[in-house]
Amino acid sequence: MANKGWDEFDAGAILFSFNDKVDNIATTLAEDRPYSPSNSFTASVGDWRIEKPIFNKDYCIDCQFCWIYCPDVSIIARDKKMIGIDFDHCKGCGICVEVCPTNPKSLLMFDEHKDDDECLAGWPEKDEKEK
Amino acid sequence: MSEIKKIKNLKEFSTSADRFEGANLLCPGCAHSIIVREVLNATNDDLVLAASTGCLEVCTAVYPYTSWDASWIHIGFENSSTAVAGAEAMYNALKRKGRLPQPDRTPKFVAFAGDGASYDIGFQWISGCFERGHDMMYVVLDNEVYANTGGQRSSSTPVGSSTTTAPAGRVSYGEKKEKKDMMSIMAAHHAPYVAQVAPNKWKDMVKKIQRGFNTVGPVFINAVSPCTTEWKFDPADTMMLTDLSTDSLVFPLYEIIDNKELNITYRPKNVVPVIDYLGAQGRFKHLFKPENKHILDGWQKRVDDNWDYLQRREEARV
Amino acid sequence: MADKMDLLDVEVWDGNMAASQAMRQAQIDVVAAYPITPSTPVVENYAGFLANGYIDGEFVMVESEHAAMSGCIGAAAAGGRVATATSSQGFDLMVETLYQASGMRLPIILNVVNRALAAPLNVNGDHSDMYLGRDSGWIQFNAYNAQDAYDLNLIAFRVAEDHKVRLPAMIHQDGFMTSHTAEGVLTLSDDDAYNFIGDYKPMNAMLDFEKPATYGVQTEEDWHFEHKARQHNDLMTKVNPVIQEVFDAFEKETGRKFDFVTNHNLDDADVAIVAMGTTVDTAMLVADQLREEGKKVGVLGLRVIRPFPFEKLAAALSNVKAVCCMDRSAPGGTVGMLYNEICGAMYNSANHPVITGYVYGLGGRDMTVEYLKGIFADGEANAAAGKPTTPLQQFIGVRGPKLNFL
Repeated sequence: MANKGWDEFDAGAILFSFNDKVDNIATTLAEDRPYSPSNSFTASVGDWRIEKPIFNKDYCIDCQFCWIYCPDVSIIARDKKMIGIDFDHCKGCGICVEVCPTNPKSLLMFDEHKDDDECLAGWPEKDEKEK
Repeated sequence: MSEIKKIKNLKEFSTSADRFEGANLLCPGCAHSIIVREVLNATNDDLVLAASTGCLEVCTAVYPYTSWDASWIHIGFENSSTAVAGAEAMYNALKRKGRLPQPDRTPKFVAFAGDGASYDIGFQWISGCFERGHDMMYVVLDNEVYANTGGQRSSSTPVGSSTTTAPAGRVSYGEKKEKKDMMSIMAAHHAPYVAQVAPNKWKDMVKKIQRGFNTVGPVFINAVSPCTTEWKFDPADTMMLTDLSTDSLVFPLYEIIDNKELNITYRPKNVVPVIDYLGAQGRFKHLFKPENKHILDGWQKRVDDNWDYLQRREEARV
Repeated sequence: MADKMDLLDVEVWDGNMAASQAMRQAQIDVVAAYPITPSTPVVENYAGFLANGYIDGEFVMVESEHAAMSGCIGAAAAGGRVATATSSQGFDLMVETLYQASGMRLPIILNVVNRALAAPLNVNGDHSDMYLGRDSGWIQFNAYNAQDAYDLNLIAFRVAEDHKVRLPAMIHQDGFMTSHTAEGVLTLSDDDAYNFIGDYKPMNAMLDFEKPATYGVQTEEDWHFEHKARQHNDLMTKVNPVIQEVFDAFEKETGRKFDFVTNHNLDDADVAIVAMGTTVDTAMLVADQLREEGKKVGVLGLRVIRPFPFEKLAAALSNVKAVCCMDRSAPGGTVGMLYNEICGAMYNSANHPVITGYVYGLGGRDMTVEYLKGIFADGEANAAAGKPTTPLQQFIGVRGPKLNFL
């Protein structure tokens, strides 16, 4: 959001989450919300990451542990399925990987700059010891 | 809309539309936002939120961004309780006078605050709100330290923790005082519902939050919030630390109803030694020197004694 | 629905009752309050109205003044009419939240029954608490008597809640001298008073779930200055036109005329006393007596302390040769606020009167007719000499060797 002059914003430094009126936000998913430019949803902290989580849906059982324990609302779950990661909001903490119960894990951390396909190509095999 | 949201399992829970947004400025791996998400997602009712000064507040409303999809207010360090109580009073007035913008809604009033804001500087405000009986929920994000300002001790800081204002040193093992027992103090206000929660035990937590939302009057929730920065552990290990906190019984999960009935809500199958919990955190590192063994022993004894006490209370139904 | 109260055209009220009655007539949605001498009766009277069915808003008796203003802020942000009252140490305790109320642009009405500040502890009236609040970004109205306290409450709600303003406002009255002194007060009927104020018009209400609002954000070096500048701009440019509008409307409604400054015989005066609170009324009495002796003296009462009415004040003092500024607060190592502000207002005006300052009345010490005569005499000597004939700062009414500075 561009830095505005003193005469260009709402008095009282009040921020509004949405551009338009919302009816029942608790049942409106992100893609259907009229986010305002002041909503941090529209911002990115992607550049905080040193490592990124990569999702391998071949092993995912949709347990949703990653969804509930993600501190940054960055696990995208729709219709009870894990469908991906929101890399604008993921800070790369690695909690999702730690709580992933599958073997091999369905989420692993990789260097931020490593190519996604390369990450998936080198996915580890099932670890017998981990069981 | 005031019916309780159905959350049978995690799959069903994952259909929630979060009202807390990413690109907030909390540390990677911060448990605060996990707790906030579980609280907010426990209901589909409208929310009026307040936050005391602290990590959550300074990281979620830094102009020109807000991370809140519900109305939210921050006044000061000590008064999120009273801020939301004021809003609740306005709700009651406008309801009576027929001037609510959406009269059919059943909003919930929630204040979030850290342990410093709650156990220390905001204690009087919370006490006042609970004595007056506002219909609100007060959630402590208990990371046992003033994390926002760089790790100073609070009255929630436990014995032996090294903080910047009670550091471990050549002649000190760090914090000397025991953690304040806020659960008992708040229950003693005859609050209708007081509960300790941990975000790893999400089902227990959501059940308690829903019970809290369904309770008329002030509800106190103490949520353990492992702090990667001040407890000094890897951000990826937040849930592991939370597991250790509940399974070592350092943070027993229980509820007190009307200051009359105490229920333990989680009994670990395998209780973990307290040293496993302490050893996973840099803030207790110095306790593992030989000269501090008595502090470690004291820790285990204190946790055991507290667990015995809670069990006796539960059994006696008091 | 609250019961209406039948008022006589003239009621015998003290300043506290005048304020409470105006608050009742405003049909406030939330009052969060805490008692403190000498404003306690405002809260007690209001509680009595509630207990007898005259109030249908919420009345929250909190555990401290800080909590009182905190609750008021939460309630005001939620979206409705809010007011409270306090004094002295309670005002001190509120200070943190005063800045937050104005910074969030919440139109809260605060009756401040002025009292000294400890230490040493003192329950009586002076203006120390009022002075403490003068940089807080609130509008500050000044009552000289119980009638003013009533009228200015009605005026303050309408000004503060105007969407062009949206700032909190204080109504100051002198502890005990006004707050506990019964006077005849001309009243408005409940309907007329409420209609004068008008319905509360919500703006950015937290309880509007169709438009969630975030209040109380953090702004650092990249935004803070702009927000403070905006607030100051609105205080300097937007508030006074609305105050003028409401003063005019009030005069039309009641015949009682208010202005930013009270000009009492200043147009042909050589000497002016500038004062606030009850001292304005006393000084006018003294000035009238001196006029009968042929002395060209007048009084300027400061009705609106913030925003400070620089131009109106300079215009009212444009013909005087000497100004005596009456500060009822210990300035703590400098000149008094009024002395300072008036020098500031006059320095670049066409008229350059001799300006001297007086510190008086601390902790409830009386400002007597004799003292005021002496001060007018100082002013006359200054006017005749065209320069100060006394030190610039004198303490009036204090025991011991005469205390002068500068």
